[in-house]
Amino acid sequence: MIRRMHRNIPSFASVAVGLITLALPLFLSSSNIEIYVNIGLYTIVVAGLSLLMGFAGQVSLGQAAFYGIGAYTAAILAVHGWSPLVALIAAPIATAILAFLIGIPLLRLKGHALAFGTLAIQLIFLAVIPETGALTGGSIGLSGIPPLRIGSLEISSGRDYAYLVWIVVVISLIIAGNITRSRPGRGLRAMAASVSGASATGVEVERYKLKDFTLSGAYAGIAGGIYVFFIGYLSPDAFPVILSIEFVIMVVVGGIGTVSGAFVGAALITVISQVLSTLGTGPSLPPQLPTVLSLGVYALILIVILRLVPSGIIGALSKLFNKVQSASPVAPPVIGNSVETVSTTDNNDKKEFTLADEI
Amino acid sequence: MTAFVEYLLTGVSRGLVFALLAMGFVFIYRVTRVVNFAQGAFAVFGGFITYSLLRAGMPQGISELLAVIAVALIGLVFGIITIVGEIPLLASLVITIGLSILSEAIGMLIWGTTPITYSGLAGHDFVIFGAFIQRQYLIIGIASLAVFVGLVYVFGRTYFGKAMSACASNPYAATLSGINVKRMGFIAFMLGGALGGLAGVLITPLSPITYNADVSLAITGFAAAIVGGLASPGLAVVGGLVFGIVEQFVAGYWSPSNETAVALALLVVLLLWQSRWVRLGGLE
Amino acid sequence: MKLSESAGSETTGSSQNGVVASDTVLATFDLDVRYGAVVALEGVSVHVGKGEMVALIGPNGAGKSTLLNTLSGIKRPAGGRIVLNGKLAHVPEGRQVFPELTVEDNLRLGAYRGGSRDPGPMYELFPQLQRLRYRPAGGLSGGEQQMVAICRALMANPDVLTVDELSQGLAPLVVSDIARHLVELNRQNGTAVLLVEQNAQLALNITSRAYVLENGRIGMEGRSSDLISDPAVRAAYLGGVR
Repeated sequence: MIRRMHRNIPSFASVAVGLITLALPLFLSSSNIEIYVNIGLYTIVVAGLSLLMGFAGQVSLGQAAFYGIGAYTAAILAVHGWSPLVALIAAPIATAILAFLIGIPLLRLKGHALAFGTLAIQLIFLAVIPETGALTGGSIGLSGIPPLRIGSLEISSGRDYAYLVWIVVVISLIIAGNITRSRPGRGLRAMAASVSGASATGVEVERYKLKDFTLSGAYAGIAGGIYVFFIGYLSPDAFPVILSIEFVIMVVVGGIGTVSGAFVGAALITVISQVLSTLGTGPSLPPQLPTVLSLGVYALILIVILRLVPSGIIGALSKLFNKVQSASPVAPPVIGNSVETVSTTDNNDKKEFTLADEI
Repeated sequence: MTAFVEYLLTGVSRGLVFALLAMGFVFIYRVTRVVNFAQGAFAVFGGFITYSLLRAGMPQGISELLAVIAVALIGLVFGIITIVGEIPLLASLVITIGLSILSEAIGMLIWGTTPITYSGLAGHDFVIFGAFIQRQYLIIGIASLAVFVGLVYVFGRTYFGKAMSACASNPYAATLSGINVKRMGFIAFMLGGALGGLAGVLITPLSPITYNADVSLAITGFAAAIVGGLASPGLAVVGGLVFGIVEQFVAGYWSPSNETAVALALLVVLLLWQSRWVRLGGLE
Repeated sequence: MKLSESAGSETTGSSQNGVVASDTVLATFDLDVRYGAVVALEGVSVHVGKGEMVALIGPNGAGKSTLLNTLSGIKRPAGGRIVLNGKLAHVPEGRQVFPELTVEDNLRLGAYRGGSRDPGPMYELFPQLQRLRYRPAGGLSGGEQQMVAICRALMANPDVLTVDELSQGLAPLVVSDIARHLVELNRQNGTAVLLVEQNAQLALNITSRAYVLENGRIGMEGRSSDLISDPAVRAAYLGGVR
C-alpha cells in the first residue's frame, strides 16, 4: 500500500509539472523562452545519460559530442537541401547508430576507463571538426540553416520551439520511464548502493549497457537536432567538454536513474548557471567572473551532493516522503514489537543495546 | 637528422613529464582504485604556484620545491574529499571530476585566463646534431630520473613502500596485518599531487599553461598510465615516453593540428587493447 | 552488557567481569553480528584458554567465518562482548597472500603492528619457505601460500591464532603436513589456536575442545574426543563425503 502510494504521488506531481510547463511558454519573454528550450533539450540528453549511469552504472563524458553529432547531422543535411524534417529525424538515428558502433568496443571498458574513453571521443570530436571544414564549416561553423517545417507548418518562433521541445521531452521521458519500470529495483543501485551490484547480473547488464548507450546517443542526437534549427547556426564551440560534465552534474543533482530527476537536474542547473551569469556580469566586474562562478558552483554542487545526498534531489525527496509516511499514525507501529524488530539496521545497534541493557 | 633529433629530444622530455603525471595516476589507482580525474589540475597548480613564487622574488629552486610541496598538500585535501568514509567508486570518480572543475575555477580566479609561463634553467640552449636543445630538457631529465630512482628505492626497498604495495596488492589482507588502507590512500593522493605538481613545474617553461589545461594533461597522463593497465609505474614511464615522442613526430612530420586527434585515437586503441587483458576501471 | 569497542585489537579483559578466567586468552559473551537485517551470529559465547587448541565446526553458512572476522576486527559486532588477553592474529579464508610481493615481504608485513620483522624463525618452522623467500607469493602452490599466510600471522607474535578453513583447496597430504606444523607450533610456543574447519575429522583430531556452530548459534560444545564419538556429530559432520 505504501509502495503504491509512493509510486502514484510522483506521477501526480509529474502531471502537474507537465501542465504548468505546457502553459508556461505563453507567459515567457523571448529570452526566457530560450532558457525554457534549453532546459527541455538538456532534459532529453540527461534522461538518456541517467539511464546509462543509473542502470549500467557507467559515466559517459562524451554526451556533448553526441549532442554535437546530432546537431551537425541535422545541419549538414538541411544545408544540402534535404527537407528539414527529414534532417531532424536523421539526427537521432545517425547519432544512435554511431553510439551503437562506438559502444560495441568501448563498452568493454568499465567505470573510470569508460569515462576517459568517452572523454577521448568528445575531444576527438572537437579536434576533428576544425579539420573537416568543407563539410562542417570547420572552426568557423555552419550558417544558413533553413527553418524547420513540418508539412506546411513552419516552426519559427521561440514559442513554437518551446512546444516542439515539450512534446519531445514528454515522449523521451515516457520511453525512459517505461524502461525504468521494466527493470524493477535496479535504479540507483549501481551508484548509490553497491557498485559491485551493477556487474552482478552479467550478460543482462552488458545488453542493457549497449542499449542504454545507444539510446542515450539517440536522445542527445534529437536534442542536438532541435538545437541547431532553434539557433540557426552551428560552431564546434557549442559543444565543449564542460557541457559533457554539466550533463553529468544534472544527472547527479536530479538523482541517478530517476526519470523525473532528469528534468529537475536540467532545470536547476540551467537556471543556476543563468542566475550566476547575470550576477557575475557587470561593468565593474572582471570578465571571467561568470565562468569562475559557474565552474565553482558546479564543482561544489557535484561534490556536496555526492558526499551528502548520493541519491540526488529526487531520491532525497522520496526518502523524506518515506519518513513522513512511516512516522504518520497510520503506519504500523515499528517500535515496541520486540527487540529484534527495533534493530533491523546497523544505525540502531547501539540504541538497541541500551534498550536491551535496561531489560 | 637535425629535425629528427629535435623532435626526439623534445618528445622524450615531454614524455618524461607525462610519465610523472601517469605515475601519479598509477599510485593513486593502485591503493584506492580511484582514477583521479583531477591529476591534470595538480600540474596546473604546480606551474601556477611556481609562477607566483617567482614573481614574489623567491629563488627558482626554492619556488619549484615549495610548489611541489604545496601541490602535495592539495593532493592530500583532494584525497580526503574523494575517499574518506564509505563511498562507491563511481561516486569517487565523479567527485574527482568536480575537483577538477573546482581547480579550474580557482585557477581562473587567482591566475586569470591568459597563459602563464616562466623561464626554466638559465643559460644558453645547447646544440646536438645541429638541433637547438633547451636547457630545460636537461632539468626535466635529471629531475624525473631522480624521482624514478627515489620511487624504485621506496617501493622496492623500504618497509613503508612494501606496506603501500600491500594495500594495492590485497587491501583485505593489508587491513588484517594492521595497515590502515585509507590512510595509505591519502598518502597515495599526496604522492600523486607531488608528482603532478612536479610535472607542472617542469613543463610550464616549455609550454605556457592556462587554468583549463588540466583536461588535456589529465588525459595524456591517463593514456600513458593505461599502457601498464594503470597498475605498473614502470610501464607508465614507457607510456609517457611513447606518447611524448609520438606527439612530437606527428606534429613535426605531419601536422600539429593532428597531434591531439592522433594521441586520443591511440588512447582509445590502447584502452580497448588493455581491456582484453585486465578488467579496467576498478569495478570488479 | 557493553559493546566491546576494541574487538580484535590488543585489549586486556576487564577485571570486573568475574567470568573471564585468568587463563583465558580469548572469549566472547553473547556475541551478536548482523549483515543489515540478516542475523549472522546470535548469542555466541566461546572461549579459548592459553595455549589451547579449539575447533569451530559446522555447516556452510553457519557463521564460522563471520565469527573469525568479528574477532579480528574486520566486522563490527552488533552486540555482546569480546575479551582478548593478548594479541590475536588471523589467517583468513583463501590464504589472502600479497601475490605480487615476495614471500619474505609477505612475512615481514605481518609484523606491521610492531615487533621483530625478522622472518628467520618462520623459516625454521617451515623450512620450505626459506628457498622460496624471494619468489612472489602469487606463484606459490596452495599449500605454500597457506604456510605464508600462517607465518605472516605468526609474525605478529600472537597469543592466539585464528585460522579460517585451513584445508580449503589443498591436497590431503599437504593439509596433514600443515596441520602437524600447527600442532607443533602450539606445543612449542604455546600459541593458542582457534581453528575453523570444514573438515571436521581433521579439526577434531588436532584440537582438544570444539564448538559446533549451527545457524549462527552454538549448537554443541565439548571435548573434541567426545564430539568425535558423538552420534549426532558423526551423522552430521563425519559421516558424509567430508
